[in-house]
Amino acid sequence: MPSSVIFTVPRVLVGACFLRLILLVYGGWQDANSAVKYTDIDYMVFTDASRYVANGESPYSRDTYRYTPLLAWMLVPTSWQLPLPWSAVSFAFGKILFASADVLAGWFVLQLLRRVYRMSTIKALKYVSAVWLWNPMVANISTRGSSEGLLGVFVAALLWATLTKRPITAGAILGLAVHFKIYPFIYGASILWWWDAQRDGKPATKSDADPFTRAMEFVTHSRVRFTLSALATFVALNGVMYLRYGMPFLQHTFFHHLTRIDHRHNFSPYATLLYLTSTGAAGFHFESLAFLPQLILSVVVLPLALAKKNLATAMLAQTFAFVTFNKVCTSQYFIWYLILLPFYLPTSSLMRKPTLGISAAVLWVVGQALWLWQGFNLEFLGLSSFVPGLFLASLVFFAINIWILGMIVHDAGFNGDPIALAKKVHWEN
Amino acid sequence: MKRRITFIQPLGAPFEPDQAVLSSSNLAIRGLDAARHDRITLGLDDLPEELRNVLESSHALHLRWAAEEHFDAIAPFSSRVSPGLHAPNSDTLCSVLRTVFGADEGDRNGVDCTSPEKSFTTPPLRSTRFATSTSLQYYTRLPSLQTLVGFIRRTICHQRQGGAKCHDHADTLLMADSVDIDYDSTSHTLAISGFWSSAPTGGWIEDIGRLAADDKIEIGLLGVEPGASPDELKAGGLLGSIGEDKKLMPTMFHLPSRHHPFAEANTYSISFSQPTGLHPEMSISIPHSALQQPPAPKDFTCALHTYLTLPSSVFIDQYQVGTDDPLFLQEHNLVAVRAFSGETDLEAPDWAVDRWGSTWLLELATPSADSADPASNWTSTIPMHLRYLNPSESGYRSAAVPWPVVFWACSTEEEGKMGKNPFDRINLGYDELFGPRTIFYQLHPASQHLVEELDVPVLKLKDGEGLFQARNIELGTSVVIVLGFLWIIWRLARVVWATGLGANEVKRPETHEKKE
Repeated sequence: MPSSVIFTVPRVLVGACFLRLILLVYGGWQDANSAVKYTDIDYMVFTDASRYVANGESPYSRDTYRYTPLLAWMLVPTSWQLPLPWSAVSFAFGKILFASADVLAGWFVLQLLRRVYRMSTIKALKYVSAVWLWNPMVANISTRGSSEGLLGVFVAALLWATLTKRPITAGAILGLAVHFKIYPFIYGASILWWWDAQRDGKPATKSDADPFTRAMEFVTHSRVRFTLSALATFVALNGVMYLRYGMPFLQHTFFHHLTRIDHRHNFSPYATLLYLTSTGAAGFHFESLAFLPQLILSVVVLPLALAKKNLATAMLAQTFAFVTFNKVCTSQYFIWYLILLPFYLPTSSLMRKPTLGISAAVLWVVGQALWLWQGFNLEFLGLSSFVPGLFLASLVFFAINIWILGMIVHDAGFNGDPIALAKKVHWEN
Repeated sequence: MKRRITFIQPLGAPFEPDQAVLSSSNLAIRGLDAARHDRITLGLDDLPEELRNVLESSHALHLRWAAEEHFDAIAPFSSRVSPGLHAPNSDTLCSVLRTVFGADEGDRNGVDCTSPEKSFTTPPLRSTRFATSTSLQYYTRLPSLQTLVGFIRRTICHQRQGGAKCHDHADTLLMADSVDIDYDSTSHTLAISGFWSSAPTGGWIEDIGRLAADDKIEIGLLGVEPGASPDELKAGGLLGSIGEDKKLMPTMFHLPSRHHPFAEANTYSISFSQPTGLHPEMSISIPHSALQQPPAPKDFTCALHTYLTLPSSVFIDQYQVGTDDPLFLQEHNLVAVRAFSGETDLEAPDWAVDRWGSTWLLELATPSADSADPASNWTSTIPMHLRYLNPSESGYRSAAVPWPVVFWACSTEEEGKMGKNPFDRINLGYDELFGPRTIFYQLHPASQHLVEELDVPVLKLKDGEGLFQARNIELGTSVVIVLGFLWIIWRLARVVWATGLGANEVKRPETHEKKE
């Protein structure tokens, strides 16, 4: 079959829905027939919290519920007591929601690639289905009931609202996303820097203008609207939640994530060091400065240097840097940058030079595998593999990620903005 | 001072009248082969001042200690606790526990608590019968009572000027299989009881007499067998009181009993599936032949239970095991978690945990009558998890898990109390989780040593030598991260150098863009 037959928008979307439906049904079957559950442990936390919320109690009555109450509210239908087979559907309500969010996120990316990037539909469909819509890992995560899929739709919608010049909508989405999970605040920096007067069709500032005029011209209508909308949404949501649930809301949704020292083994290069320092065995405390390289890159330098050149790729680089330099890193974090890959890959050196692309992919997988092997030795065989095994594996994985990030930076800086290019080509034709 | 010494002989054991001879001032025991229970009750005046002050301010003190080696818990002393030192329902001060039983020297064999508020846990009480004003619980592994004996020699023996006799008496605690210490805040008395399941080689040889003129010493030589009704025991033998009776008097009486003996064949054993990794799974294996229902009274319903005492290094995930998923429970042969208390944090490393650990009461499943293969074992499994422990030189540390107790608990909803029994033993941690009318039948542990040692992998750290010492891990991490950071900055600098901070000029793509 020629690819033009498979790759039509409805077929790709129906295929994505079908894939998720099969996984939902299979998950239900496995849960009912095996002591090993398909459903993610976190989903049990969400649904327990929803039960508390449905009874008028605080979702934080459930241990390890460390999310916004919004999530528990959204999943209230999971607490409904219905007769079979409806109980199975109500239990899966959250998963259906997450899976739909996945598909919607893919649709946003698809629309952007076609309308704003002016990519041919077939090409856009190929990238979106390979990276996201038909990616079994993405479908698996959302149908197991992990809420990370929701972040995908927030980020895709944020990018859509920005590139289609809807500052208030974009701000509201950003406020909501940051309320949901702190990390999307990094996108605020790049979007603000990107949204200069020229984006709104104004002439460029004269280079001989005095600094004050230039500074005043930074304050554009769109930037002000975007900022106020984001702040208002964020403050309003937090205000409502704080009034309703008080300190536990702030503690579990924000402070916990800001102050936690995750000493258990994970992909982060800091993991061994954190284990060491949390026992009080370390001399100087490098990890207390860990936020510096992470935030300097993802909030200041990367947005400043790259956002105006290629917003989506700048955001990808920010996410990549944020995850790579984070003090905690688990595989769910990788999905954070997956949603942005379809904007970057088509013009990347990874695709232009297949050997480079394949080497990067192979190295990344090998880095993961090395770590997982050491992790398996520790977790299941009980071997003391913290040093050198896990320690070196996490540093090697870090180095591979840095190499890939360096390439993304280079591509974002030198490749030219595909959106501007698309426009120019469109005008010239 | 009051003292009660009870020798328990198995039915049909040889006994000659000259093995126990009562005179006006003492009882001469010669080569007596019997289990022994010895209880001393002291008034506050008999105690050294440091202890007196502490006890006067305390509402409740109940300490239960059991040896790590196997012993036969024979009637009427059939109750068991996991090996180690338990302080259920106590508000004891940590400093006293440390002084009396010895502090933890880093090997986890001793008292490691800073204050009851921090280290003790609050048990969930179902029955108010045992509830005291403050219900706090503490446990620690304690293989030997050496420090306690030293403390008694130094203080109580010194106070009472008991001399060598008092020292010898204290030393016998080193061979005890279990020891109870209770302080009663209404009568202001401290009771110390020891239980020896068997006599030293050659039998008990002792002259028991008064140390002070007002001491009261009661002696019993008894045989115990099941009573006429299933909730009673029957005891028969000789009783006497030193200085009051001229000779030992024959006696026969009924004992309503909370704890009942269970035939020796009713055993259980504990193991962990290897390798244990960071997620050890405890197996409780019981021969099918040992799974018959206990001979409880008719209106009592019986269920098989286990009561676990877990140090903080090991924990059970209450959401994993406390599930009502029938598939999970079936796979592990569990019925339900009936109660738990203590440190149940699912993430904290051991060094961040102040409380001593946790206790768990689980009801175990029993096989249906037709599926039982009498030759095989019936096994329940309990998934557990290990906390991160401090680094060590070898890369491993040991976590000691005491064998849980396994018992049938038979209860009735009927009103009323258990009849009084001079040998009754309460405050065991699990008894208060059942209703007042509950009879316990203990299964017998089938091993000599009743503590399982788990190997916990930890960060391997050598002081001042080797490649992977603390300094090098810090240095290595810092250098790699700084280099990574600088590499990205360098890549960005090249971009900014060539094109500035603004948007790039739009150029036609180079011709490597493939046509679709």
